[in-house]
Amino acid sequence: MAKILFINPVVREEDVPRHIPYGIALLAAIAMKEGHLVQIYDANAHRLPLETIIEVCQADEWDAICIGGLTTTYNYIKKSCKLIKESAPNAQLIAGGGFLTSMPHEIFEWIPEIDVGCIGESFVTFPEVLKKIDNKDFNYSDVLGVIHRDLTGKSFLTNIRPNIKDLDTLPWPAWHLFPLDIYFANSSNLFSEESFTSKRRMDINGSFGCGLTCKYCWHLGTTGDMLVEENDNGENDVVFTYGRNIRYHSADYIVSMVKHLYEEYNIDFAAFIDENLMTMDVASKGTWLKELCKKWIEAGLQPTCRQQGIPHDENCKGVHWNGTSHAGLHRPETLKLMYEAGCTHLVYGLESFDPTVLRNLGKGSNARKNKQSIATCLASGIKPIPNIIIGFPEESFESVRNTIEALVELGITAKPHFATAYPGSEWYYAYKDSIMEQYDQDLEAYIMDLGDASKITATISHEFSPMQLLGLQQIVYLKDLRLLDLSEQHWAPVQEKLAPVIQPKMSFNLKTVKEAGPLAS
Amino acid sequence: MSDLLKGNFTTKKQVTKPNETKDSDTLESTFKKAALNSIGGSMVYVERTDLTWDGED
Repeated sequence: MAKILFINPVVREEDVPRHIPYGIALLAAIAMKEGHLVQIYDANAHRLPLETIIEVCQADEWDAICIGGLTTTYNYIKKSCKLIKESAPNAQLIAGGGFLTSMPHEIFEWIPEIDVGCIGESFVTFPEVLKKIDNKDFNYSDVLGVIHRDLTGKSFLTNIRPNIKDLDTLPWPAWHLFPLDIYFANSSNLFSEESFTSKRRMDINGSFGCGLTCKYCWHLGTTGDMLVEENDNGENDVVFTYGRNIRYHSADYIVSMVKHLYEEYNIDFAAFIDENLMTMDVASKGTWLKELCKKWIEAGLQPTCRQQGIPHDENCKGVHWNGTSHAGLHRPETLKLMYEAGCTHLVYGLESFDPTVLRNLGKGSNARKNKQSIATCLASGIKPIPNIIIGFPEESFESVRNTIEALVELGITAKPHFATAYPGSEWYYAYKDSIMEQYDQDLEAYIMDLGDASKITATISHEFSPMQLLGLQQIVYLKDLRLLDLSEQHWAPVQEKLAPVIQPKMSFNLKTVKEAGPLAS
Repeated sequence: MSDLLKGNFTTKKQVTKPNETKDSDTLESTFKKAALNSIGGSMVYVERTDLTWDGED
């Protein structure tokens, strides 16, 4: 059996570690189930100097060292891979996750130390790669869903790996291999009183992907949103689509998992990291969340404050939870049940209150629904957490005004995110050329600059420059329509005479059609 | 001292978490982080410790 080291890279260095990496924890569990010897170094939790990796890599004779994460982990991964290969040259270096799936060939060029990468969903691909390594067979060309190299270092992508059909066949993540004390110390967050007072929060995942086609989003190639096709050079490359394989865990799987976390780790809060609970509920014809809430209560997980109808305090027992919602898809009767079962807050990606922006976004919502959603959610007792973005491609003074007026009406204070084109998203492919121009043709510099969209990296607004967007962000935060009017009086006449800052283009890597990747039978 | 690695077997070498850095370092970095998170108005932060020209250039 192979000796495997997982490294969880540092992410969002400006904040404390808050999330046990769900994907790594799942893959570790799968590897152990296959009989492999597994160790995890959680660099994100420990936040030690980068060079600690050398000692970790020399702690044993590893057959494989595995690293992966979202695009925002790229900086750490790039530096780590160099140290990993230097200190454990005999180990196969395996990469995976969103940072690789979104742009596999570029990553293989930029990080030559990686031997093989798992593209998209890795639940079947990863154990197959481990089996190869265990057999000292380093020819990965017959494994579906991987990127690998020839002796010259040139990268090759194999054909697509079908998504697994039944998520309930997955084991529970290997939470016990992570420094839980560090994560528990950072349990509290500022989204609701219950989450603010949480002392033992853990993340859970009930579903994969989302049925919507928001242009800023992508789904890691794990939700039927990815194909592998030959490009103009006759080489396989990833193509992202509007296709979806909607999959969610059964209520029984989720509730038994949370019950285990409650009994084993005494958690007081479960944070659903699902992309969007409501799209899954719609896919189930409105049955999934109702069943989940019913079984949550039957399993004794309902917080006592909700059971007794009293304010939450430190004596409350049970498990509160939160998730993600959608302005056009939530239903009052479901929200009510969710509140009773312990749901404290729901994140709504409202993004904007401008009709044109929302119409073009692919979100399936509009300004009226966005406004109503706040009242509907509040009426259930659940706190809505509305996310706002500025800097959309079609952003204008009028669209910003529409958003500010709605924020005033609804009593929302928000410092908006900046519209950011993350690799894999429709925006990224539409504006890749413009992004390259903004980074002096250095795409890797852009990737290294990406954070959580709270700062401007590359702009995709057709009209507004970074200077204007920074000012508009502050004006939205202040909800100051006078400043917006003054800015428009000053800029609008000039802007009429200017060429657009950027323009969208077509790309091989994106097909705006509902063509889903394969699903295993 | 705790083991940095967690797994289902014992590694040949143990990798332990180093002791916390000196109090002065911790205070300095903690202060810097807190100060930078509060920037605005009269709250500013000077990162350099020495900008004196030594006259040699």
